[in-house]
Amino acid sequence: MNSNNEYIPFMSEIKEIIKHTEIEYTFRMTYDGEVKPGQFFEVSIPKFGEAPISVSGIQEGLIDLTIRKVGKVTNEIFEHYVGDKIFLRGPYGNGFDVDIYKNKELVVIAGGTGVSPVKGVIDYFSNNSKEVKNMTLIAGFKTPKDILFREDFKKWEENINIILTVDSLDGDEEGTYSVGLVTKYIPDLKFENIKEAVAIVVGPPAMMKFATQGLLDIGFLEENIWVSHERKMCCGIGKCGHCKIDDVYVCLDGPVFNYVKGKTFID
Amino acid sequence: MGFSFSKEGINNVFKEWSKDYIIYAPKRIIGGGAFSDTDSIRYEKIDTVDEIEFNVKSTFSFKEILLPISQTLFFFTEDEVKEADGPKKGAIIFLRSCDLHAVKRLDEIYLRNGFEDYYYKRIREKGKFILIGCKSAFENCFCVDMNTNKIDAYDASLEPTENGYVMDNKCQDWEELLLNNSLSQDEVNPSYVTETKIHVNIPEGLSIDIAKSKMWDEYDSRCINCGRCNFVCPTCTCFTMQDIFYTDNGKVGERRRVHASCMVDGYTDVAGGSSYRKNNGQRMRFKVLHKIYDYKKRFGYHMCVGCGRCDDICPEYISFSNCINKLEDAIKEVNGNE
Amino acid sequence: MDVNTKVLKKNAFRVTKQRGITASRIRVPGGHLEAKYLSMIQKIADTYGNGTVHITSRQGFEIPGIKYEDMPKVNELLQPIIEGLDINQEVPGQGYSAAGTRNVVACIGNKVCPYACYDTTKFAKRIEKAIFPNDLHFKIALTGCPNDCAKVRMHDFGIMGMTEPRYDRDRCVSCGACVKKCKKKSVAALKAVNYRVQRNEEKCIGCGECVLACPTAAWTRKQEKLYRLTIFGRTGKKNPRMGEDFIKWVDEDSIIKIILNTYDYVKKYIDPEAPGGKEHIGYIVDRTGFEEFKKWALKDVNLPSTAEICTPIYWKGIKY
Repeated sequence: MNSNNEYIPFMSEIKEIIKHTEIEYTFRMTYDGEVKPGQFFEVSIPKFGEAPISVSGIQEGLIDLTIRKVGKVTNEIFEHYVGDKIFLRGPYGNGFDVDIYKNKELVVIAGGTGVSPVKGVIDYFSNNSKEVKNMTLIAGFKTPKDILFREDFKKWEENINIILTVDSLDGDEEGTYSVGLVTKYIPDLKFENIKEAVAIVVGPPAMMKFATQGLLDIGFLEENIWVSHERKMCCGIGKCGHCKIDDVYVCLDGPVFNYVKGKTFID
Repeated sequence: MGFSFSKEGINNVFKEWSKDYIIYAPKRIIGGGAFSDTDSIRYEKIDTVDEIEFNVKSTFSFKEILLPISQTLFFFTEDEVKEADGPKKGAIIFLRSCDLHAVKRLDEIYLRNGFEDYYYKRIREKGKFILIGCKSAFENCFCVDMNTNKIDAYDASLEPTENGYVMDNKCQDWEELLLNNSLSQDEVNPSYVTETKIHVNIPEGLSIDIAKSKMWDEYDSRCINCGRCNFVCPTCTCFTMQDIFYTDNGKVGERRRVHASCMVDGYTDVAGGSSYRKNNGQRMRFKVLHKIYDYKKRFGYHMCVGCGRCDDICPEYISFSNCINKLEDAIKEVNGNE
Repeated sequence: MDVNTKVLKKNAFRVTKQRGITASRIRVPGGHLEAKYLSMIQKIADTYGNGTVHITSRQGFEIPGIKYEDMPKVNELLQPIIEGLDINQEVPGQGYSAAGTRNVVACIGNKVCPYACYDTTKFAKRIEKAIFPNDLHFKIALTGCPNDCAKVRMHDFGIMGMTEPRYDRDRCVSCGACVKKCKKKSVAALKAVNYRVQRNEEKCIGCGECVLACPTAAWTRKQEKLYRLTIFGRTGKKNPRMGEDFIKWVDEDSIIKIILNTYDYVKKYIDPEAPGGKEHIGYIVDRTGFEEFKKWALKDVNLPSTAEICTPIYWKGIKY
C-alpha cells in the first residue's frame, strides 16, 4: 500500500462511546498524530461511504468525534460498539489556532452540534485558563434534551463563564436552563476593550449570521471574529470540488475562517 | 527535431510505441451519438493513425484518460482495504492546444491544490502528449481570447499533410525510432489558429457581487441541469465518491470516484437533506465564475481554455461564451444598484 | 360518356361526385420528396385540374377537377413524378399501375426528429419497392419511435422504430437522468442499483429516451436496427381497432418477408364476394384464426435471435 495515497483510510478503534442524546454520540477513537481543534476526519465506512466529522476533543492517543445520526454513513457508525474498529482519513482542514485567542477576551458562541468543532478550544482554555484574559461560552441548544457535553459543561463552569441556553424547555422543567436564542445574551456581554476582544462563532447558518451580527452591533471588529463553515466537505483534500466557495476550498483553507473572508461567501 | 512520415512509417512508430504505451486519440464512434445514425468523437485506444479523427473537435475531452469517468480507488472487505491497480502501460494522448493547456489545470488541482492525488499522478507521470495542430478554429472555439491557441509544452506534435504526416518531436527517447521510420527530417512547426469567430470579453472588476445580478435568472428556466457542459469540459475536475458492494457477497465491495457536475441535482446535497444552489441560474453562476473568475483568483490564470465544447453540446443552446459576454453589463447593473 | 371505372380506379384516379370529373392521386412513399415535384404537381392542377391540391391523409396529393378525357395527358405529366419517386410501374407513361395497396406512410423519421430510431422514409421506400404495384387492400405505416406520431397502430402493418440501449457502466456517473426520463416519459424500465442502472429488458420498449438523456454517452444505441411490428389495426365501419404487437425486436428483412407472405395469405383466403375486391386483412384473420395467419406469415422467415413473437393475439376495438 502506498503511503502517498491519501484516499486509503486507516483503522481506528472505538475506545469509548458517550451518549449525549438519542442521535448524538461522541466516539472516542484511537489516533496518534498531530491534530488541531476544528480540524475534521473523514469517517470512512466501506459500503456506506464517508462523512466529514470535526474533532470535538483531543487527548494523548485519542480523538473525539461527535456524530449526529443524520444519514447513511452516520447511521452505520451508530451500529458500532466499543472495541470495534472503523476506518478514518485525516485530519484535514486548518482548524483553530489557539494562539490567536491567547491573552485576549474571548467569547465563543456555539449552537447545537456547532459546539463540537470548537470544543477543543474550550477544553484548552478551560484547562489553561491563565492563557486567556477571560472567556465566555454561549452555547445554545433547541431543548434540554438536545444538550451535548453535559459533563464537560460542569467541568468548564469552574474556569470559564458559561451561558447555557435552550430555545425552549419543551416540557422539561427540571434543569436550570436559560431560555432564549444565543443572540439574546450578546448585548449583555462586558468587555474591557471590545476592539481587542475576539470571538468564535460556530453553528447552523442562520444562527451564525445573527450571532455575528450581534457581535458587530456591540462593537466587535470583523477581523476579530472567526467562524467555522461546516460545508459539504467530501474528499477533504482539495480535489473533488464539492466544498468550493468562490476561490476557497473549505476543506483546505477552512473550515475556520476569519469573518472578513467568511462574510463574502456566497454558496 | 521535425520528421515527415508516410502512413506506413507513422504506423510503425505507433506499433513500437504500443509496447510501452496505450495510445489514446479522438476517434469517430460510428452511431455513437445520442441521436440515431449520428456519430460521436470520443477518446479511445487506437492502434493506427487512420483511427484518429483529425478534422472534427472531439465531443468529450482527453480528460477521461487522466481522470477516468469512473475510477476504482480500492477494494474493501469489512476490515481490509486493497488499493486498485494502476495501468501497467503509460499513456500517449493526442490532443489539441486548448486541451494541452487544460492539462495544466488538471495538474493544478490534482498535483498541487492540497495533497497530491495518488491516482491521477500514477497515470499522469507516465503520460506523453502529442499535439494535434489546428489549421483553423472550429465552431464555438475561443482559444485565442483565452491565450490557449498555442503551446510549446508537448512531447511531440502530429498533423496530416496532403500525402502523409509531419511531426515535431521533443522527446529525446523517441528520436531514433522516428528517424528510422521517417521519410525525411525537416523543421516542423505545429499549426495553430490566430483567429476565432467567437470572441469573449472577460471584464476587469469582476467580483462575487456579480452573483446578485439578474443576468443569471434567465438560466433558471433555460438550463435543464443535465451537466453535459461539465462532463465535456476538459477542465472540470469534480468527482463524487461511491461505495458499492458486490451483491453476491455484501461484505466485499469497492470505493470509486465518478465525475460530478455542479449543474446536476445532488452536487450540493449535505447529510440531513439540505442543499445549496437549487436554482439552475445560480448553478450557472457558480460554474461560469469558476471558469473565468475565482479559479484565477486562486491560481493566477483562467480555468477556461476556450475549447467551446460546452457550447457544442448544450441541448438547450446555452452559450457559455455568450454568457461571459453579458458580464460587463451585469457589473454595471450590480454597481448601479448599490 | 363511356369510362371504365374499374380501370381508372386501378390507375389511381377517382370516381367523384361530380359527373365527368375525376381526381388524380399521387403517392409519396415515406412522405418525403424533393421540393421540385411540388411545381410539377402544381402544373397538373393548374393545367388539367381546378387549380387546387388536396393533401391526403396518407401522405399523397389529390388533384381534383380533372376531366376524364384528360387522364392520359395527366398520366404523361405524372411520369417524371412516378419515376422520380422510384415507383414500380408496368407501362411507362401510363400512370400508376395499381391503387389497391395504399401509400406507405412514414413520420419524418431520423432525418429530422431526435426521437426517431431510423430513417423511416428509406425503409418505407424499400417496402414500396417490394410490394408495388398491388391491387390488394394493404395499409402500411412506419413511425420512428414508440411515440407513434404516424399512428401506425391504425394500419394493417405498423412498424415502430426501436433502439436497443447499450450501457457502458464505466461511463455512468449515476446522475439519474435516464431513470428519471424513463419513468416520466416512458415505461419506468430503469432503476438505480448500487449506483448503476439496471434495465428491465422485458419492460423496455426501446424508445431511446435513456440514450437521449444521458450526458456522458454511457447509454448508446445498438447499431442493429430493430422494430416493433404491429398488425391489423384498422379504421372502418364494423370494428375499428388498434393493431396489436406481433413481433418485438424484429429486423427489416423479416418484416418485408412477412408482408409479402401476407399477400399470399390474403390471395388464398380473401372473401371472393368482397365489394371491389377489398377486404381489411383483419377480417380475414378473424375468419381463418390467428394461427393460420401466423403459419403463412412466418413461412421461410429467419427471425433474428432478438425477436419476440407475441402469440396468441386478441384484438379489441369498438364493435358495431
